[in-house]
Amino acid sequence: MSENRLMVEATGLTKGFGSASTRLEVIRDLDFVVATGEMVAVVGPSGVGKSTLLHLIGLLDRPEKGRIVLDGVETDGLDGAVRAGLRNRSIGFVFQHHHLLDELDALDNVALPLRISGRGSRDARNRAAELLDSVGLAERTTHFPDQLSGGEQQRVSVARALAMGPKLLLADEPTGNLDRDNAERLFQLVTELHLKVGLTSIIVTHNEEMARRCDRIFRLAQRSGLSENVREI
Amino acid sequence: MSLGAELHVASRYLIGNRRWTPVVTVSLISVFGLGLGVFALVVTLALLDGFQSGIRSQIVANAAHAEVRPATGRRVVDPEDLASLLQGELGNVEIVQVVRGTCLISSDTDAVPASVVGRSDTEGVIADRLISRRLGVGSGDRLEVISARQRLTPMGPLPVRIRTVIERISSPEPGSESGTVILPIAEAQRLLWGEPVIEALELRDVAEPWSLGQRVRGILGSHGLAFQVAGLEELHRPLLTALALEKVMIFVAVGLMLVVAALNLLCNVAMVAAEKRKDLAVMAGLGFTPRSLRRLFLVLGLAIGLVGSITGAVLGSALSIVLDRTGALELPRGVFMVTAVPFSVDPVTLGIVVAVALGLAALATWLPARMVARREPSEGLRYE
Repeated sequence: MSENRLMVEATGLTKGFGSASTRLEVIRDLDFVVATGEMVAVVGPSGVGKSTLLHLIGLLDRPEKGRIVLDGVETDGLDGAVRAGLRNRSIGFVFQHHHLLDELDALDNVALPLRISGRGSRDARNRAAELLDSVGLAERTTHFPDQLSGGEQQRVSVARALAMGPKLLLADEPTGNLDRDNAERLFQLVTELHLKVGLTSIIVTHNEEMARRCDRIFRLAQRSGLSENVREI
Repeated sequence: MSLGAELHVASRYLIGNRRWTPVVTVSLISVFGLGLGVFALVVTLALLDGFQSGIRSQIVANAAHAEVRPATGRRVVDPEDLASLLQGELGNVEIVQVVRGTCLISSDTDAVPASVVGRSDTEGVIADRLISRRLGVGSGDRLEVISARQRLTPMGPLPVRIRTVIERISSPEPGSESGTVILPIAEAQRLLWGEPVIEALELRDVAEPWSLGQRVRGILGSHGLAFQVAGLEELHRPLLTALALEKVMIFVAVGLMLVVAALNLLCNVAMVAAEKRKDLAVMAGLGFTPRSLRRLFLVLGLAIGLVGSITGAVLGSALSIVLDRTGALELPRGVFMVTAVPFSVDPVTLGIVVAVALGLAALATWLPARMVARREPSEGLRYE
């Protein structure tokens, strides 16, 4: 599956939180590389910086040090609008909590990235309907998030992540809130779409069994408290 | 990016779906606050405009609409020719020749200084209510008008005086404090000048009173005649300025309600920003730029401002019109010029009130909108 071209090339990443006196350094001097078309699992104990790493790669946050190159695009120094454009066009997110907007029904939630990109309402909703059909929710388009089960919410979330035809899928513990059967179904859906659409996928998970089914495992571990991370590939 | 996505999300936040959400609740509170402020301001200004338009109507009904005086000196040279020229150019206007001065007005029991006006359109003697009240005189009573001008008599210099009978009592000129006595022009000329001098021409045009001064100025200028021309605005500048100032001060004072409503809106929008922290992070993740997030909140604030101010303006105008037409708020007879509290809704004032309310809503929304736009998207997700 791996190709020579790199989709993600992160080098020397450092990120901490809090003020000078209460600073908590979560990631220090981390290198992380994912080839185009790979499906990589990121595993490790809670608080080790898995989500922070995903946020940095997904341009939801900025590293204090280090650089990130996405599909050949140097992201350092890009302003907020350009980063937002990249997130909209090239990156799809699936979060542990579905993070669907409560006020929008399933169709509008999936159509939102398309509306943001400037697509017309009808066009966006047609495309969203196709995507919901592809994740098996053709009958649930007018349902609001609180009318859907956990598994269905995550499938809507997957459909939304794929709405703009991204190159990179970032999933942060997508099965963390699901029971075993729903978790398995969702993981299969993500795997199928990864292959079908030709995505590069990075999946943060605590589930070792699922991680082993990915092309590669990136393991974050703690050393000397929380200040340093090592990786085992 | 078009505004479609921001409008879409903002409308769903405001209207909600099937549920009563906190955003809908705080939006309604903000709409109510702004609506109440606009309502109060519209009704107050309509009341003020009602009274002020009464005063303006009284000025238009009783006073000259324009006055022509010589550019230098006090005498108008060839007043008949000047009157003919203006009459010819302006058509259907009233032109009156006048002289003015200050005299001592004396009754059997008292004497007060007052303005004396001689007018070419007056036959009898007219005293206003101020004179009537001060001297305790009415129609048919005798008055003595004593000039500061003196004439030489066998007994030495004595002031020129006339004895006359009041024909009727009139309303005082707006803004007049000393009272006025109007005399036939010949008598006034004898009192004030001792010869047939005309000091000014007064013009009235009932059809277009407020523009008469400007038109007279144009006519005289086109004929190369140098005169001082005062229109209604200039003739009553102190009173009109006081009325305008009163309106501004009332606007500012009652408008503070709008400021309080805008602060309430600021708090509510900041609450929405906190409540929707996760949503905003997700939207940023999906591609909303910081500018789009700012616009989303501005749309929210302006929508609340628009609904609140339009509702307040409509209800305030409706109430003012109903109260004015029905005369529901009666006033004691004889105390005021009108029998019921007058209301007048001025569309320009209404537009200014709505614009100010919208401006304050935009300002109140700007701060939380800016705060939201400056957050890194991950902040909302990290604390979830």
